[in-house]
Amino acid sequence: MARITPKFVYLIVLLAGLGLAAGDHLTSRSMAGLGAPSDLGNACAPCGAPCTE
Amino acid sequence: MTYQATNLAGQAASPERGLVVLMAMAGLALAGLVALDTGARGVALLALGGVLGAVFLGFQYGFASAWRRFLVAGEAIGLAAHFLLIGLCALVFLTAPSLGLAAAGSVAPVSVSLVIGAFIFGIGMQLANGCGSGVLFSFGGGSGRMMVALPFFVFGSLLGSFLLPAALEWGSLGQVPIAVAGNAVATTGINLALIALAGGGFFWLARRRGEMMPRRLIAGTVIIAVLCWLVFALSGHPWGVTFGFTLWGAKIASALGVTVENFAFWQWPGPRRALEHSVLADVSSLMDFGMVLGAGIMAAVSGGLRRQDWPPVRQLAGAALGGVLMGIGARLGFGCNIGAFLAGIASGSLHGWIWFAMAMAGSWVGIRTRPSFGLAV
Repeated sequence: MARITPKFVYLIVLLAGLGLAAGDHLTSRSMAGLGAPSDLGNACAPCGAPCTE
Repeated sequence: MTYQATNLAGQAASPERGLVVLMAMAGLALAGLVALDTGARGVALLALGGVLGAVFLGFQYGFASAWRRFLVAGEAIGLAAHFLLIGLCALVFLTAPSLGLAAAGSVAPVSVSLVIGAFIFGIGMQLANGCGSGVLFSFGGGSGRMMVALPFFVFGSLLGSFLLPAALEWGSLGQVPIAVAGNAVATTGINLALIALAGGGFFWLARRRGEMMPRRLIAGTVIIAVLCWLVFALSGHPWGVTFGFTLWGAKIASALGVTVENFAFWQWPGPRRALEHSVLADVSSLMDFGMVLGAGIMAAVSGGLRRQDWPPVRQLAGAALGGVLMGIGARLGFGCNIGAFLAGIASGSLHGWIWFAMAMAGSWVGIRTRPSFGLAV
C-alpha cells in the first residue's frame, strides 16, 4: 500500500470507470432523452422510492 | 463542514497541468457521448454535476463533520447552514407550478424501512467520514479513504435495492406531504416556517456559544442552492446522488452474470428503465460522473491530488463498513443527505424530517463507534 500512491490508484479507477461508462453507453439501447425513476410510474422520488398509499 | 478550504486555499496553487488536461478531455469526451443521445439537456446536467463537485470540494461543504461537531461539541452553525440551504431550495421546489416549472419534488413513503435506513446511513456516514455527496466529491478530489468507501457504497446500495421491496412490507403510511391545505401559498408558508424554525433554532444555539456563520459558508450555501435550483428546473426533480451508485452496482453485477433484473426493485418501471439504458441516460448517474470530474479538475488545479495519502488500514476498514451501511441505508431510507434530507424537507415531505432525526440518531451511534476504527470522536 505504501508504494502504490492514492493518486496512481485514483487515476486507474477514474479512467477505468469512465471507460466502462462509455462502453456501457455505446452498447446500450439509444434513447432520446434523459430519465430518472420518478419520471415513470410507481416512483415518487428520484431514488426510485415507490409511490404507496 | 470545514469553513476554510484546507487544501485548495491558503496554500500556493501548484496545478497538475497534465491531469487537468486529461480530466478536461475525459469530460469533453463524456459530454460528446451525452450530446449525441440526450442533447443539450444532458450536457447541461453533466456540467452542473461538475460545477457541484468543484464547489463542494472548493468550499469543503459537507454534512457528516458538521453533524459530528453538533453531537460532540454542540456546535450548531453547520446545521443552521444546512437549513438555510434547504429553505432556499424549498422556495423553488414548493412553488414550481407557480414559476412555470414542469418539475415535482421528492415525496417518499413514511415507512419502517425509512426509519431503519436513515439510522443505518447515519452510522455509516460517521464511519466513512462523509455522506453520499461527501464520498463522491472527496473521491473526485483523490481521497484514498473514499477510494475504499465508494465501491463499498455502490455494493451496499445494490444490496439495499434487493432488500427494499421486502422492507416496504414491514409497514408504511405512504407519502405524507406536510400541510396539504389545497392552497399552495399556505403549504409553502407552513413548510418554510418549519424550516425557519429548525434553522433558526440551530442558529440560536450557535449564537449562544458565540459561533458566527462565516461568509465563506454563506457563500457556499447560496451557490449550492442556486445549482440545486438549476438541477431541479433542468431535470424536473430535485438533485439525487445515490440512485446512480445503485445503478452502477446493478450494471457491474449484471456484467458479472448476476440476474439483477429478476429482483423486484429492478422490475419497477423506473429502475428497470435505468438498467436497460446507458448509465449516462440516468440523471443521478450522469451527474455523479460530472461531480467526480468537476472535483477532480478542481483538485488537479490546486495540486491537491499529489498531497493525498492513504489513511491507516483500520480507518480504511471503517470507510469500507461505512460505505456498505450508507449504501443499504440510502436505499431503505430513500436517499442520502441530498436526496432525502435536503430534497425531502425542501419538497414539503414528512419523510425528509424523519430521515433527519433518524440519521442524526445513527450518527450518534456512529460517532461512538469511530474509535474502534482509529477515528477521532
